[in-house]
Amino acid sequence: MSRHQYIRNLDYRDAIDEFEGYAEEEDELSPEDRALMTAGTIDVQAALGVEVSKVTVAQIEEALWHYYFDVDKSVTYLTTKFINPPPKETKPAAKQPHGNPFQSRTSLAHVFRDMPWGNVPKHRETTFIPPPMARLGLLGGSGAAPKISKLQALAAARKKKAEEKGATQDKMESARTKMNELSVGDTPAAREVPLAGAFSKRLKTSESTAQGRVPLVLSEPTRSEPSQSSSALVREPEIMPSVDKAPQSMFAQTLFGSHADVFHRVPQESYSLYADLPPSVLDAFTKPSPDDVVLAAQAKAGKKTPAAQPKKKGTPSADAVAGEVGELKISDAPLPKSRNFDVLSEFEKSKSKKTASFVVVGHVDAGKSTMMGRLLLELKVIDQRTVDKLRREAETIGKTSFALAWVLDQRSEERARGVTIDIATNRFETEHTAFTILDAPGHRDFIPNMIAGASQADFAILVVDSSTGAFESGLKGQTKEHSLLIRSMGVSRIIVAVNKLDAVAWSQERFDEIKDQVSGFLSVTGFQQKNIAFVPVSGLQGDNLVRRSTDPAASWYTGPTLVEELENSEPSVRALAKPLRMTISEVYRTMQSPVTIAGRIDAGSVQMGDAVLIQPSSEKAYVKSIQADDAPVDWAVAGQNIVLHLSHIDPIHVKVGDIICDPAKPIPRADTFTMKALAFDFLMPMQVDVHRGRLHAAGRIETITALLDKVSGAVVKKKPRIVKPATVARIVVKLDQLVPLEKGLRVVLRSGGQTVAAGLLE
Amino acid sequence: MTDRRRINGPAGATIPPVYDDESRLDLKTATGRSRPPNAIRKMYLKTGVTPSASGSAYLEIETSGKPGVSGLKLSCSVHGPRSLPRSSPFSPHIVLSTHVKYAPFATKQRRGYLRDPSERDLGTHLEAALRGSIIADRWPKSGVDIIISIIEGDQDRETSRFQGDEVWDMMNALSGCITVASAALADAGIDCVDTVAGGVAALVQNTSDDSTTSIVVDPIPSEHEKILAACCIAYLPTRDEVTNLWFRGDLPASDMELYTRLVEQGIQASANANRVLVECLNGTVG
Repeated sequence: MSRHQYIRNLDYRDAIDEFEGYAEEEDELSPEDRALMTAGTIDVQAALGVEVSKVTVAQIEEALWHYYFDVDKSVTYLTTKFINPPPKETKPAAKQPHGNPFQSRTSLAHVFRDMPWGNVPKHRETTFIPPPMARLGLLGGSGAAPKISKLQALAAARKKKAEEKGATQDKMESARTKMNELSVGDTPAAREVPLAGAFSKRLKTSESTAQGRVPLVLSEPTRSEPSQSSSALVREPEIMPSVDKAPQSMFAQTLFGSHADVFHRVPQESYSLYADLPPSVLDAFTKPSPDDVVLAAQAKAGKKTPAAQPKKKGTPSADAVAGEVGELKISDAPLPKSRNFDVLSEFEKSKSKKTASFVVVGHVDAGKSTMMGRLLLELKVIDQRTVDKLRREAETIGKTSFALAWVLDQRSEERARGVTIDIATNRFETEHTAFTILDAPGHRDFIPNMIAGASQADFAILVVDSSTGAFESGLKGQTKEHSLLIRSMGVSRIIVAVNKLDAVAWSQERFDEIKDQVSGFLSVTGFQQKNIAFVPVSGLQGDNLVRRSTDPAASWYTGPTLVEELENSEPSVRALAKPLRMTISEVYRTMQSPVTIAGRIDAGSVQMGDAVLIQPSSEKAYVKSIQADDAPVDWAVAGQNIVLHLSHIDPIHVKVGDIICDPAKPIPRADTFTMKALAFDFLMPMQVDVHRGRLHAAGRIETITALLDKVSGAVVKKKPRIVKPATVARIVVKLDQLVPLEKGLRVVLRSGGQTVAAGLLE
Repeated sequence: MTDRRRINGPAGATIPPVYDDESRLDLKTATGRSRPPNAIRKMYLKTGVTPSASGSAYLEIETSGKPGVSGLKLSCSVHGPRSLPRSSPFSPHIVLSTHVKYAPFATKQRRGYLRDPSERDLGTHLEAALRGSIIADRWPKSGVDIIISIIEGDQDRETSRFQGDEVWDMMNALSGCITVASAALADAGIDCVDTVAGGVAALVQNTSDDSTTSIVVDPIPSEHEKILAACCIAYLPTRDEVTNLWFRGDLPASDMELYTRLVEQGIQASANANRVLVECLNGTVG
């Protein structure tokens, strides 16, 4: 038996009785009650006298308990109930043979117990009795006569009484005529013709019952067809009975009204609406309305159809209104709400950790990515499991030593070639500072990406390969170019990580040799000696990155580790109070916004709800929300790497390399600019690529205005034909397209895959 | 295909049990024909019911007098003549498009919101019937839409058994459609050679045991034991032309006379309906 069946068969009454009996046993009588009960029982037995044999003690006790030991009441009760019970009422004779068949399913079981299959005896056959059905009622619903409520019964009784009091016949008559007038279709014309169909019949009955009278006897509508129908159908056309037009049914009456003919329309007479208004009011409407005046003025001004305009007091000048209307912009989404923070004071109050970002540069295969991977592993930003997984993956393609680099080089192309292609960002925190790593590519083909990374950095780690031969080739290669570039991008602090010292057995001589060469070279490039630090490290092993080297051969080094050196570096002063500038380094779609951009704020601050301008497209957008370090924030300041969700802008207006700026102080767009350039190569009027962070644009050097003194900046020679390497010149560059540029920006000029110059916009 | 955007009624109709009750016996036994075999039911026709349409008409064929048996209620609106859409090819005469649709509640079996094949069939018959009456070349490069809603189908609501083929009901509906569309066309002022009206004649078997048959006009399936064959005719009385003839049923192919008599009776029914139509149209002019 299924659980359902069990529940269905459960007898609730039994269950409840059992429960109550159990409860009564618990409920012990108190001693006083017990005494009262005994005394009461004796009294009752005495009062009953001879009849006492007909009741049990238990019955007496129950009666006493029920009547609170009232002896008289108990005696009356017992007498009527058990001693002289009234004759049982006769059961209603017309009881249905099998009860209500719908009542319960299980109760039918005994009925069919000995029922044979087939050949059911006659006396066992049932008679189905139709449920009472309302005549002509709608299908469904309750067929039973409506139950009369008490109020209805009272009303009926009153009505009956009032009728008995003798309402006169003429009163009744008048009531009846009124009722006739009220009824929908019973117009005098229609009454003459007996209506056919169910509706008419129903109408009549309802009318008569409403009057409380005997219903009018309605014969079934008899048709007035002539009886000349000929039963013999012959070829020649016979005379058919003429067909009269039928009267409307109730439905048609409701639809079209009871008038038989609506085609004789009453000719519409014209009449004035406000005939009796004073002439002053009428005059006011003879002239065009103020709205019309405004509309006419706008039409004259050549505007489009005006949108809804705010109503103004007085008569506004048409031009002003037209201007306002022109500025109206209809947008479906509400603007993001700004909380109007004073971001600078909030920033001071917040006392958050210092933020700093550094770029890792160096010659190709110097071990930049591996060193950073090791750094992240030691700082527990990534776990050993991830590295093990990467190592296994690296083993399958035979590049075990690249496993750590793969922490940052995540693209399949980067992994296959074993070089970093685009800058990879990651972040870690030390006790005082939150750092952002910008791992730049070392390969010379990807210098533009390295420039983009360097433009976002506060300081740099220059990784130098110390193994024999590698350092020398690096110094000729990208070690030199990178350091030149980062200096021209405005990075002044540099940490030189002398890598792979474990490969030369931590040789101090080798370290010193490299230190001499590099520091000499860096000071030539323009770095101050105090801003240069050297750390001997092993990126693969992790010595001197976070923890000191345990190798006894490296014990000669007692200076700070790389992380300590990073913490010592003061990030450059943020231009917080300047207008907002942010270079877009990534544009993508997210669930929150179709236009989501990532980048670093170069200057100024931004908060939720701010309007921003995107250059060079000059499109306005609104900041829907801001994310910093994967957490939503209300505001962000210069130096932070953030993600902005923009709204009210089409994605086609936003590209990588564009600049987001304050709409009040936008960055100007230009295709020609003058710059003070430090030449790394020979410069002459030639095609160049202009790099500015992520942005790079093709252009050409138009003119070389002057050669400048390297230190004082004074003009040495006007209009030179050529600029020699390592000299400073003022040049004019023309670009193919409009680019957002500003005074003081640092740009790099490259030509033919070589960096030819770097400098400052004037 | 059901339309899931609307609230549909149950797919299949449930018929409540009908009990064999003495008080209702008289209703059930009154299945005989309540009028002479050559008399059509009375009809109520009215034009100009839809203000927004160029022409419109409403037709009501009264019930048989039996309570619970509905009559036929049709409403027709004519839109046009109007220019054809640009995409359609050139047409030297007017393009008729007819739509006949049962209201979802019109019949015992609930109808869908989209036109089913039988409704499309009715539309095709109606178009054939009307095309013969319209002077089509007076309106080149134009189209007219004739839209008929069957508000109440001609069905016995209380019968529990299935009264034969639904096609007999369709024939009655078609004859009404033709008449009402003709009135609506006249109301729209579209030039016609004559008013066309529909009529139905049927060969019926009156009692189940008897094999005698008779021909009646305007048959109601519930009033006859069995309908053997029926024809629906659209007829132009003044030109004495039949524009559409729809014949259906089981008849011996040899008995040509029976066919002719059926058609004749259909024409008579149609001519009778036409009289009501003309009377109604005269009333609007006067």
